Amino acid sequence: MFQISKKLIAAGLAGAFLLTACGGGGEPQPTSFPGLMIDGNNGYLASGSQVYKFDVTTNAEAWRFPAQAVNTLNFAGQPLKFGDVVIVGGATSPSGGAYDNHLYAINQQTGAEVWRFAAGKDGNPGKEFADGVVTDGKLLYAANGDHTLYVLDPSNLDGGQPKTVWTFTAQNKLWSRPLVADGVVYQGSLDHNMYALDAATGKELWRYTEAAAPIVSQPSISNGTLFFGSFDNLFFALDAKTGKLKWKTPVDGWVYSSSLVENNVVYFGDAKGRFYALNAADGSVKWTFQTQGAIHAKPVLSGTTIYVVSGDTIVYGLDANQATDYKAAKKNEGIGRRLFSTPALVGNTLLVVPLDGAVKVQAVNVDTQNLANKFAFPQATPGK
Amino acid sequence: MGDIFDLVVVNPFTNALLVLYGVLGSYVLAVIVLTVIIKVSTLPLTIQQQVSSMKMAAMQPKMKEIQDKYKNEPQKLQEEMRKLGYNPLSGCLLMFIQLPIFIGLYQAITRTLGVTPFNLLNLGKHVYSFIPNLSSLVPINSNFLGMDLGQPDKLFIIPILVVATTWFSNKLMTPPATDAQTKQTNQMMQMMMPLMFGFFMLSAPAGLGIYWLVSNLIQVAQYYIMKPRLESARAQYGLPSLNAKSGDSASKAVIDVERPAPPKSRARGSNTARFNTAKPDEKKDK
Repeated sequence: MFQISKKLIAAGLAGAFLLTACGGGGEPQPTSFPGLMIDGNNGYLASGSQVYKFDVTTNAEAWRFPAQAVNTLNFAGQPLKFGDVVIVGGATSPSGGAYDNHLYAINQQTGAEVWRFAAGKDGNPGKEFADGVVTDGKLLYAANGDHTLYVLDPSNLDGGQPKTVWTFTAQNKLWSRPLVADGVVYQGSLDHNMYALDAATGKELWRYTEAAAPIVSQPSISNGTLFFGSFDNLFFALDAKTGKLKWKTPVDGWVYSSSLVENNVVYFGDAKGRFYALNAADGSVKWTFQTQGAIHAKPVLSGTTIYVVSGDTIVYGLDANQATDYKAAKKNEGIGRRLFSTPALVGNTLLVVPLDGAVKVQAVNVDTQNLANKFAFPQATPGK
Repeated sequence: MGDIFDLVVVNPFTNALLVLYGVLGSYVLAVIVLTVIIKVSTLPLTIQQQVSSMKMAAMQPKMKEIQDKYKNEPQKLQEEMRKLGYNPLSGCLLMFIQLPIFIGLYQAITRTLGVTPFNLLNLGKHVYSFIPNLSSLVPINSNFLGMDLGQPDKLFIIPILVVATTWFSNKLMTPPATDAQTKQTNQMMQMMMPLMFGFFMLSAPAGLGIYWLVSNLIQVAQYYIMKPRLESARAQYGLPSLNAKSGDSASKAVIDVERPAPPKSRARGSNTARFNTAKPDEKKDK
């Protein structure tokens, strides 16, 4: 008996260890990045299996969608406010890895579903909307993991879902939102290309093929120059009209973060945790700053301070003109969860979105770098 | 702890998979070749485990005798067992090595396949920058015979094959029981382990199932290659042949109860020494 129990206990322990170690310790592994959007006093958060609307001043939850959490659902990317609705994308479910190929339009007052759009072509269901949608004020531009950019007209519902105006199919997944500017849609792809498409027709205007690795961040544009990074450890600046290379700058790691261009400076981070400030004119490095985790989120600039969140769980406030070293940087003690989503600044409070965990949004007082607990809302209380 | 595990196990596997994928042009081939490399590297441990379980089996009669004799004196029992050379962990060594490898490979496969945006970001942190052009291999083509290797196999072919090959390989690798109790334990283990892995494979990426499948098949091949040497070693320890049915070996064990275990000097020898076919010392002692 002694032998039986010993062997069985060993096997049981091994099994438990295996399932725990591979399965993420019982907590579902994240698949995508939550998204936060602020509209006045209202915050909209797509995180995990629900979308939340909450008041950023009173901490009160207005609604959550769906009202009851469904563990096969997973929402990701920044929500988009479009008229009376908020539009969010379905992502890959952490349980079983199933794709949710839907875009959901939710009544911003009531939290009720207004319509949903199912991605898919030629009878095949689409995949995830990993990074939300953008709009030019009339149409919706939604990039999907099935390699296709769907352009939808929400004012023209057909069978309960918005009519597709045109689609564009790349050679691999589209995991970042496009940028729509001056009648042109700029879309990066895991196929290593950056595409420029006519926003009205979907006609390809040019494609940049010199990046030797995936482009998985929303590009930014300033003064006719398109900026984006790639996984080949390079950051590019192209002529937005022609797609001709203006300059490229080597960086330490994969660029997964979208860039912010302000005052002729381009700010972004890389997957090795280094944050960069480049001269927009020639790509020369103004300064860099090393964090201890991957940087995925777009930074936020306020005055002369640029706020950076990192996978090391820390919120940094850096002098936009001159970086400080890691130890001297203004930073909080870390919130205990990885930060990969773009934060939002409300007054002197920076709302940051942890990748996982029970606290969905954490507020940080940017003056004191302390956690402002009253903003630690909303707590996930399924069933509310 | 996680960082050290990443550094020592997951990162080398991740980059090895990418390099092999770059060279071979097929992710399945990359997983197969990496599995072969891992199995060959852990072969000495496999041999050691086989020898160790033979040693423990040979000790069974003597152990029983000691257990009966000192059943009311636990300290003395422990001391005598130690003198005998009994090490309860010796048979588990391979499992303790295999588990981190399995978990490391699981993480490397989910990372390299980059099936979700989060996995892809994770991969970016761990790709060695000193190996040129690894990033250009991303994204990995994860399609194999119409199956997405980054997703669980919806047709359950891989989980079924994993259960079948794990059961068969365990059956081969488990030596014939020397008593009824061990036989019962072995039977339970032979059922439990494959089912456990099969259950796990229902939600694991199919690519990991390919690793486990190939790993089992190599183990079976290794068994047949090693079988003649194992047989002679078993004979040396006075254990029943691998071809003996469990029932036979259980009854044979009753006859062998009085056979003393090989002396410690022999048991502690090198693997090569353990496999030599010289007459065991205990026969002479007897």
